[in-house]
Amino acid sequence: MNRELNQWFVHEVLPHERALVRYLSRVWRTRSEIDDLVQEVYVRVYEAAEKSRPAAVKSFLFTAARNLMTDRARRARVVTIEAVENIEELSVVADEMTPERRLSARQELKALAGAFESLSPRCREVVWLRRVDELSQKEVAARLGVSSRTVETYLMRGMQAFADALFAKQILRVVRRRARNAEAEPGHGKQ
Amino acid sequence: MESSKVVKEQAARWLVKQDSGEWSAADGAALQDWLQESTAHVIAYIRLEEAWKRTGRLKSFGAGVAAGTVPSPRQWQLSSVFIAGEAGPKTAVVRHARRPWLLGIAAGIVGMAAIGVAWLVLTANPMYQTPVGGLASVPMPDGSKVTLNTNSAVRVAISDHERRVQLERGEAFFEVAKDPTRPFVVVAGRQRVIAVGTAFSVRRGAHGIQVAVTEGKVKIEGEGQHVQRPATGGGVDTGSLTAGSVARMDGNGVLIEQRGVQELEQELSWRAGFLTFDNTTLADAVSEFNRYSVRPIVISDPSIAAIRLTGRFESAKYEAFIRLLEDGFSIRAERDGERIVLLKR
Repeated sequence: MNRELNQWFVHEVLPHERALVRYLSRVWRTRSEIDDLVQEVYVRVYEAAEKSRPAAVKSFLFTAARNLMTDRARRARVVTIEAVENIEELSVVADEMTPERRLSARQELKALAGAFESLSPRCREVVWLRRVDELSQKEVAARLGVSSRTVETYLMRGMQAFADALFAKQILRVVRRRARNAEAEPGHGKQ
Repeated sequence: MESSKVVKEQAARWLVKQDSGEWSAADGAALQDWLQESTAHVIAYIRLEEAWKRTGRLKSFGAGVAAGTVPSPRQWQLSSVFIAGEAGPKTAVVRHARRPWLLGIAAGIVGMAAIGVAWLVLTANPMYQTPVGGLASVPMPDGSKVTLNTNSAVRVAISDHERRVQLERGEAFFEVAKDPTRPFVVVAGRQRVIAVGTAFSVRRGAHGIQVAVTEGKVKIEGEGQHVQRPATGGGVDTGSLTAGSVARMDGNGVLIEQRGVQELEQELSWRAGFLTFDNTTLADAVSEFNRYSVRPIVISDPSIAAIRLTGRFESAKYEAFIRLLEDGFSIRAERDGERIVLLKR
């Protein structure tokens, strides 16, 4: 594996996954195909970057996504109507191109917490013992009285949930601007 | 192309296998083969690997919990506290404990929509901490308030005779409720800062400890002494600090400087999520920003390090800060993986 390329991919491409998913979902109506589209866009971008790194990563990524969808729509003999319905809208809308960069430390922690909360109680326990208390997988299995296979399954599930929370899932936008001081200090409510 | 679902599952299986501690050379070779089969495999693998690496941050929810204690869903309460502020959604994690006053704190935390990040309340000595970029306000049972800056941790022990806060790392601002019968003691490394009713900050850094007083009076004591009531004194008194003064201490001594309350308040603007610079060198400004981010900014050219800046910036918005630098000075930023390097243009 090309370590340096992988680092680049992780730091420069993955932070745009959320926006990419949003874009694909808007244009491509077959929900079940979105993940595969993301995978293929990633492959195209990664393989192109092996030769030379694109300067503007986000627009490069979106262009790859657009080309892929066009290819697919053209190539398919029978295209589901939903799939092509929006193909006219392939243009990238402005707010998709805003440079959102990576999550802030706080947002990231929130995403992790949310993913952790969404796991089943058992899965949560397994992840907690392994990742926070740093017990080995074997020790986790012994402590919870389950098989190592079960521990593996839960860890796999947890891993996927965290990856989706960090990269793919939409983050709730909250009302911003500075009511902060008022909020942070109850009792000094109005200023 | 294989379905992404299948590929992701295979990648997860490899990572879990690697994580199991039973990993042979043959496994390594098999993984390499699998990775070489397709680019999609590589991508799924590095994506999950990165996510798994970052789950290490879950530890900030677990600090202080007895090892091996799995918080049961009942104990483990995760509630999202949203505040309106530039930094977006905040998360507060409250672990309920048995003592009623701790429950009081917990309720207080949720209720006040603290700019919290990770909160942990333990049965013994509750520990409160913030991750990098965090900011949190903790009401204490005696009516005092502690505000934690980025990447900071305190441990709190309150008894009938003493209110004691151990500053484990980082920086905290204390607003102490008056209580002459119980001195309020902040322990930072070898130093103790003792107050009755006052407001001051304590910061632990690489070069020692800094105490800044904005209200009232505090007393500083060095190592090797028992905690004394401020009224009775005792031990070698390294000094009393009044409002507007700053003390810097390292292993060798104490340096006290009169700066004025106004200036200190400005320096403490981190409590509202700001960094205030007043004719500050870029080098110092950058090291301040770096306290709030996991992605450090590095100055590669000494000639730009001396540029002086004045202004107020939101500590969470280092990207905006960098854009301003690029617009306003002959500076160019290069983002290389985990760092942001500032170069002369």
